[in-house]
Amino acid sequence: MWDDLPLATMRDVYVIGAGQSPFGSFPDETYLSLFETAYENALESVGGELDPDRIDEAFLGTLGVGGRQIGLSSPAVTEHLGLHGVPTTRVENACAASGYSFRSALTAVRAGTADVALAGGYEVMTDTSADQTKWWLGVSGETEWERTSGTTFAGVYAQMASAYLDAYDATVDDLSRVAVKNHGNGAKNPKAHLGFECSLEDARSAPGVADPLNLYHCCPTTDGASAALLASEEVAAEFDGPAVKVAGAGAASGRVGLFQRESLTSIPASVQAGEQAYAEAGVTPDDLDFAEVHDCFAIAELLAYDDLGFCERGEAGRLLREGVVDPDGELPTNTSGGLKSKGHPIGATGTGQVVEAFSQLRGEAHVQVDDPTYGLTHNVGGSGGGVTVHVFERTEVDA
Amino acid sequence: MTRDDRSNDGSSNDGSSSDDPPRETVSIPNEVELPRLLDFYDLQDAEHTGIHEFYGNLRDGELTTTRCDDCGAVHFPPRIVCPECLSDDLSYTSLPHEGTLHSFTEVRGTAAIGMTDDTPFVAGVVDLGDVRLSARIDDASYEDLEIGDPVRLKIVDIDGPTDQDRVFYRFVPV
Repeated sequence: MWDDLPLATMRDVYVIGAGQSPFGSFPDETYLSLFETAYENALESVGGELDPDRIDEAFLGTLGVGGRQIGLSSPAVTEHLGLHGVPTTRVENACAASGYSFRSALTAVRAGTADVALAGGYEVMTDTSADQTKWWLGVSGETEWERTSGTTFAGVYAQMASAYLDAYDATVDDLSRVAVKNHGNGAKNPKAHLGFECSLEDARSAPGVADPLNLYHCCPTTDGASAALLASEEVAAEFDGPAVKVAGAGAASGRVGLFQRESLTSIPASVQAGEQAYAEAGVTPDDLDFAEVHDCFAIAELLAYDDLGFCERGEAGRLLREGVVDPDGELPTNTSGGLKSKGHPIGATGTGQVVEAFSQLRGEAHVQVDDPTYGLTHNVGGSGGGVTVHVFERTEVDA
Repeated sequence: MTRDDRSNDGSSNDGSSSDDPPRETVSIPNEVELPRLLDFYDLQDAEHTGIHEFYGNLRDGELTTTRCDDCGAVHFPPRIVCPECLSDDLSYTSLPHEGTLHSFTEVRGTAAIGMTDDTPFVAGVVDLGDVRLSARIDDASYEDLEIGDPVRLKIVDIDGPTDQDRVFYRFVPV
């Protein structure tokens, strides 16, 4: 198991650059052009000139919505970027595709098979019909014994919401508060898909999607790409600017179908991945200065607070009501706007969260928290079938 | 030759000029047949599934699943190999036809493709004691249900798109 691994033999890894394309609906873009934008922005964010020839390997996440270049999609991207000959792999774990592509790049640099690795993801979702989109997202749920009950992810998360609201002191208004907070943040992010504010009344009165979830409790489908450049300590020392260290990493798989889980009020893979990431980083949730959590549906953000130990189990609603997770609270969460407002281009979401963590720790975020040292990213595939958690630390590089 | 030259000289379609590439209109189909996976029910006969006995029992009016003869684990969905101990020594066992609602939602705007014409409808997780399963809950609405409510089995016959007599389970409030 992970807690027996010889961490001491792994190399320290730093994020030396991270960037994203705008997230939104772009009929004139392709997955190649979107990823090119993200990649160029990642290169530009490096504190100095990184020769692309130094990229040893690339890991790129996508679900492949719409069924375009699914086979050999990663070589198609690296070819487009001029990264000829670089080994590259498509990473697929539904909505956690690029949380896992980041993990693969991290592992490569930790192990020493790469000194510089590119991690990223992309998705084009808005050029297919609503039925097509339902099909492509539906096949990431449990296809044989859950989909036959007629649900897509909204219906699946709605059942988790029903169970959570029944078990704990949380209300539909708490779900709406996730939308209000995340739209408030996303309105300040020029790369957000739905970059407008919404009031509690707006969020309360939206049309129902799958009870108790309404439209404002659901993220949009989005086009976009994101990229991060990971490097060994030796390479990171060559560049200027605050160093962003990957202090801890955790990942876990979970039962794909809800009906196979012991509880619907928690995502066990989030708990396991979180504990692992905290242990590797040597921190507790109290040490975090900000977090980007997976808010595909409002209930998912509440589950994340509980599962990642931001509060006692069942207390998530209180964090929202008391403003703990607001930008000026003790633990600002989803300062980028989250999936709800920034958007959710499936394969791009995981490294999109890393872009926000990198910006925060460099003091360049659109909703900047005060002098942060530790930040966390949390990426969930489907309704909990796969999760990654990463803890980032602003530190000095020992040259 | 530019696009404008071609439209002006009126000679580009006669194929007489050796400089002009040949042209032809080709057609693509207006519709393609749905891939097999879009039919989200199994083909339920012995030729197509190792758990045909489950469907046969359901067709006869009984909800069953597999139990491992070696370790005693009860599975859902039914298995051909025990996921707990990897034994393939499994027997079919009856499941109760009544259970309780573990959670539920009323799907309004985002049904799975293939069920979009049925909205709104209730879907939930039903607790049958040894196992839980996801199912449609017919004759119910979100407002009238509570977690823990009793529900009982309903069997539906699947009409199309194959000529097999297929069945599936749903539940209704007691």
